[in-house]
Amino acid sequence: MNKILHINVGGYPFSIDDTAFEKLDHYLISLKKHFERSEGCDEIMQDIETRIAEIFQERLAGRGIVSLSLVEQAINIMGSPEAFGAEWSAESSGGEKEHTTTSDWGIKTGKRLFRDPQDAKIAGVCAGVAHYFGIQEVVWVRLAFALGIFAGGFTIPLYIILWAATREASSPSDRLAMKGEPINVQNIARKVEEEIDKITDNFESWREERQNRKKKWRG
Amino acid sequence: MKLENTIAQMKKGVLEMCILSILRQEGEAYPSDIIQRLKEADLIVVEGTLYPLLTRLKNYGLLDYHWKESSSGPPRKYFRITDQGMESLNTLTESWNQFVQGVNQSIKNQ
Repeated sequence: MNKILHINVGGYPFSIDDTAFEKLDHYLISLKKHFERSEGCDEIMQDIETRIAEIFQERLAGRGIVSLSLVEQAINIMGSPEAFGAEWSAESSGGEKEHTTTSDWGIKTGKRLFRDPQDAKIAGVCAGVAHYFGIQEVVWVRLAFALGIFAGGFTIPLYIILWAATREASSPSDRLAMKGEPINVQNIARKVEEEIDKITDNFESWREERQNRKKKWRG
Repeated sequence: MKLENTIAQMKKGVLEMCILSILRQEGEAYPSDIIQRLKEADLIVVEGTLYPLLTRLKNYGLLDYHWKESSSGPPRKYFRITDQGMESLNTLTESWNQFVQGVNQSIKNQ
């Protein structure tokens, strides 16, 4: 028995097995990592997703659920980043970082309620609630809380209680638990890597700025 | 020394020329058709390799594409070679022929 998720691949809706989703998600993330620094990364990812959607549609013929073996077939056709390594190495040019377009609006259990400081307007309660219920856009939760203020105002004490009762998701493992991703070494390593990337980017831009300033002084 | 790397580099060098050439023969083609041809020629194994190349050639103005509805799935991107692409292909083919001649010469002499 497996859970079923509903996902959007290349603009097309699919029902997908929980295990198959994990596989596909990891695959797309690893592709993204691979193409991150190449020009037109978004477009490449878009094309690949569309092609994967097409492979799914061809094989499913309008019915059924995307299974692990179907995801594996698609990965075999498209190739893993390791397979590209030999055929194609990333060209370094100012690539843009972007989020994956595969979205998941299934509710995952085993999550914990945290406050999300990275997406906070006041204390991150709404963002945490959105993660907990698997709601993609925090704005809906905020809207619900705002409407509650007019409908008797019960959401104000609710907000304060939630604020007091939850803590901030401060560590990578907290963030994984908040988003319902299994806490294993691989996932934690991925989160930590993302954080380090952010720090390096900040440092790089700071250094560039400083060099530019130096040039100005000299010039 | 890793020979696979050297061979991969060789293939990589000629892929763009082959893609342009396939598109000149076919008029327009869907990535899967291009893949099929490249697989037959033993130049590419997986599809993922092709998309970055197509995007790059398109950004350089050597290719363009248009959307076509598909009966079995999402709309497809069909690629076509541009005039600029034709010119580049001619230059590439010319250099390639010289290259092959030169390389064959130096291999024979050994």
